[in-house]
Amino acid sequence: MNAHAVSAKPVSESTSGPSPMVACGLRKSYAARSVLDGIDLELPRGSVLGLLGRNGAGKTTLLNALLGLTSLDAGTVQVLGEPVQALSDATKERLAYVMQQPAGFGWMRVDQWLALMAGSYPRWDAMRADHLLSRWQLDIHAPMAQLSPGERQRLELVRALAIHAELLVLDEPASSLDPAARRDLLRDLAFEALDEGTSVILSSHLVGDLERIAGQVALLHRGRLLLRGELDTIKENHARVQLPAAAEALPGEISRRRLESGGVSVVIARAPGQPWPTQLTAWHAQPQPLGLEDLFVEVTS
Amino acid sequence: MDASILSIQPTAPEPIYRQIVAQLRRLIAGGQLKAGDMLPSVREVAGFHAINPMTVSRAYGMAETEGLLERQRGKGMVVAASHAASTNTHDRLHLLEPRLLDVAQQARELELPAATVLRRLEQLMGEDP
Repeated sequence: MNAHAVSAKPVSESTSGPSPMVACGLRKSYAARSVLDGIDLELPRGSVLGLLGRNGAGKTTLLNALLGLTSLDAGTVQVLGEPVQALSDATKERLAYVMQQPAGFGWMRVDQWLALMAGSYPRWDAMRADHLLSRWQLDIHAPMAQLSPGERQRLELVRALAIHAELLVLDEPASSLDPAARRDLLRDLAFEALDEGTSVILSSHLVGDLERIAGQVALLHRGRLLLRGELDTIKENHARVQLPAAAEALPGEISRRRLESGGVSVVIARAPGQPWPTQLTAWHAQPQPLGLEDLFVEVTS
Repeated sequence: MDASILSIQPTAPEPIYRQIVAQLRRLIAGGQLKAGDMLPSVREVAGFHAINPMTVSRAYGMAETEGLLERQRGKGMVVAASHAASTNTHDRLHLLEPRLLDVAQQARELELPAATVLRRLEQLMGEDP
């Protein structure tokens, strides 16, 4: 399929092996609007990374860019050790992308589609596929065209898990599901990462979902990644303080928002193990720890 | 014991692994968990609460380092022998300290006198001994 196949580098099986996804300096603009403005991202092997962002922040564009599905103005991406523009067929079989609104194959029945997939992927695990189909209550006799968007997306997820993809990229995988089904799906993904060492990137605007299962988070805002890193570390090292409007900028300040009361709400970050800035005592300000949702709102408003 | 003994709030500012360790500390100090009691597996806890198993694993690892838990071959995690319930009131009160600091701060912000807060606390503890 791909004439530019590059010989695969040996990949270590340990969790400390090479990162399955490394992106450096990604830039892309549409006309004058910069959508990706210098994105760097490294996904630790076997981890679940939650990509957060408001609707329209460009999460899908970023995922497409990470998988080489959209052209970039600048930057490089390595996927499973190969440049994304020249992935070998063997490497392509080790990754799966579940789009937000998969389409196509409307003229087939689900079982016919499954047979097609089973024939296309040497790594296809039929038992796993059957198990997931019944677990997620997908009717294999249904015409593909009659599946709801959520069912269609889950069917893609069956494919992703049945081929034992090592890198799984999911665009808003849970947005069309009810809360209980969403929770089941996220649990399945987290166990997948644990049991198979699968590395997962999933985008969502549902912060609560990501907070449950993402070990790593990255917040896409105005073309840049804010709050990138381990979720626990982020929570422990960011806080909100309320100060008078006249307060000068604090060390580690990452956002400042005017309050109706006249003061300002400031989010500060510190290096792990370091104290909060001493200036706070002068203002009698108490750093207030934040959940991810509050943090998200503070830094994006 | 099963995974429902832990109460986890994923959206709280406190990271989930810290919530788990703090609860284990309290359950052990309070005697609800006794030396040798087996803990639910990482899978059970993660599955029950729909959280990342690696977070649970991290919490257990930290509790082990702290000497709260011991890893027993073939059995999983058990409450460490040296950590029987603390009979010392001072030790047990110390575990409540972060919560009390929160209450004290919020009571001050609400301008509630200590006596009023204490009366309510007594009621709450009396209702649910």
